[in-house]
Amino acid sequence: MMRNDPIKHVFIWPAVLVVLAISIFPLIYSFTTSFLSYRLIPPIPPRVVWFGNYATLLQEPRFWNAIFTTTLIAFIAVGLQYVIGFGVALALNARVPGERLFRVALLLPMLLAPVAVALVARMIFNPTMGPLNQFLSMFGLSNLPFLTNGHWALACIIAVEIWQWTPFVILMMLAGLQTLPEDVYEAAELENASAWQQFWGITFPMMLPISAAVVFIRLIESYKIMDTVFVMTGGGPGVDTETLTLFAYQEGFKKFNLGYTSALSFLFLIAITIIGVTYLALLRPHLEKRR
Amino acid sequence: MSGQGLTGLSSWSRRLVAAGVFAWCLITAFPLYWVVVTAFKTPPGVVGGPTYIPFVDFTPTLQPFIDLYQGIRGEFFRTFLNSTIVGLSAAAIATAVGAMAAYALVRFEFKVRFGAGLIFFLLALGGYLLFNNSLGFTRAQALLLAFPIALAAAILANRLPLPGPVLGNEDILFWFVSQRMFPPIVTAFALYLLYSEIGRLGFQLIDSYVGLTLCYVAFSLPIVVWLMRDFFEAIPIEVEEAAMVDNVPSWRIFLGIVVPMSMNGLLATFMITLAFVWNEFLFALFLTNSRWQTLPILVAGQNSQRGDEWWAISAAALVAIIPMMIMAGLLSRMMRSGLLLGAIK
Repeated sequence: MMRNDPIKHVFIWPAVLVVLAISIFPLIYSFTTSFLSYRLIPPIPPRVVWFGNYATLLQEPRFWNAIFTTTLIAFIAVGLQYVIGFGVALALNARVPGERLFRVALLLPMLLAPVAVALVARMIFNPTMGPLNQFLSMFGLSNLPFLTNGHWALACIIAVEIWQWTPFVILMMLAGLQTLPEDVYEAAELENASAWQQFWGITFPMMLPISAAVVFIRLIESYKIMDTVFVMTGGGPGVDTETLTLFAYQEGFKKFNLGYTSALSFLFLIAITIIGVTYLALLRPHLEKRR
Repeated sequence: MSGQGLTGLSSWSRRLVAAGVFAWCLITAFPLYWVVVTAFKTPPGVVGGPTYIPFVDFTPTLQPFIDLYQGIRGEFFRTFLNSTIVGLSAAAIATAVGAMAAYALVRFEFKVRFGAGLIFFLLALGGYLLFNNSLGFTRAQALLLAFPIALAAAILANRLPLPGPVLGNEDILFWFVSQRMFPPIVTAFALYLLYSEIGRLGFQLIDSYVGLTLCYVAFSLPIVVWLMRDFFEAIPIEVEEAAMVDNVPSWRIFLGIVVPMSMNGLLATFMITLAFVWNEFLFALFLTNSRWQTLPILVAGQNSQRGDEWWAISAAALVAIIPMMIMAGLLSRMMRSGLLLGAIK
């Protein structure tokens, strides 16, 4: 039941005003700046260039490299997070022994500061003094260039992302699994469906809406990745691990190229929107069919 | 609830699954263990190669923590205090303001005409450009003038029978939540520009308590509104209806009945928001430089200051993550009571 009482405005306006002030205000400001050529160092007075910043950016190989790197990190990390997270959630839901203990431990990583996590990762991946290297040298692999080789560095960043955010997937999937009706499984049991058949025939389709939401949230969040990369590699070696946010940070805060950075952040926003809309459009028929 | 995914498995494969989960648990726990032991090592103890067990492999020392407290590598104590103050106040304000909005979206009916929203946007953008380019105001002045005008015009326009769709509560909720989809760099950079423009008017927002807290409140609101809406929806409406029959005003219904009934939800939302603010890096990096620097910035700085002094890095990282470890314990307790079920419906 909905009531109508003038006091409703008192309830909602504080939140609306804060969001308008802190996120819509700057958005309009930055939107207009993106059409200017505007530098603070060296100081150049603003000059209208219309789509000049956007055109320069689209021709910039470093920009495309950042997009490629970010996409690679996001897709691989989220894919693996989903597979591992779903697996662990299934196991926990089936009450494997020691399940209670696991729950606390499994929740931890996602609550820790990514910056701190990245520092710890730097220690562990250190080729001469890190424990990982010592472990691998038992198999005859030693002094692997974990953070100094482009491909390895990317792999390390993805590993850290998986480490930190799989708990989120576990948490959400576990909550979803607990809402599944039991009688369907009892019926399947009567028909002697194997565990594998039950999973593909019942669990997976019924979990599809939640899975879609979880993957969506993680994908959007992964595209914003910055802290981990900032601390682990700083975008290096070269620009091999430079993500979009880091690229914008370098342009905005090292060169104070304001118009250019604003244009960049708007392209980023457009890219995120396209990915989001495409993802939802691709998934929609599946979700509606199963419901 | 019985095991659903694994009911048909033999005991052998059950053991395999348990081993898999255990392996993941080890992977989760090892880095944490590694910070803890490294934080108690002496410099030679770190450089000599990896060691694992205190008192057996190496002799633990408290020196890294003493250095930290004495501020040898950055003003750690004050930064910790900053993070605590900003985190607690931003989380408290965001939870309060967000809960109010969420309650309004659950219990009251809102109608916003799409045309009014469009008018707001066009007037804000156009007014800003007009004031700035033609009338010669500074950017901040132009923005501060254009927005109230646009807002007032939009509120008035909402009463007129404008053509076009009418947006309801669901759409407003979506608008709130969609703020979370923006890459923060878009807003962080623009916010930095805006704050520095306002700073030129004489009101300092960069590197200030107000500026940072305001920004964190705004960016926590989507999560708070999203989570709290589910809690409020789960509350049976009969109690509120009974109170309404007795003519209790709405704000007393909210404060006296709804808030106490959803205390668990408010607490959990507060903790989740606190975790978000505590760990936040990008906005702090843009909006602070010395006085109001927060913990993540200082921790990230340990990286490059004097090369890899791992014992010190570990101690700093440990101090930054211990409060969150305690929170994880508290949250996992609430999790068992089905707290998060509502959030994903």
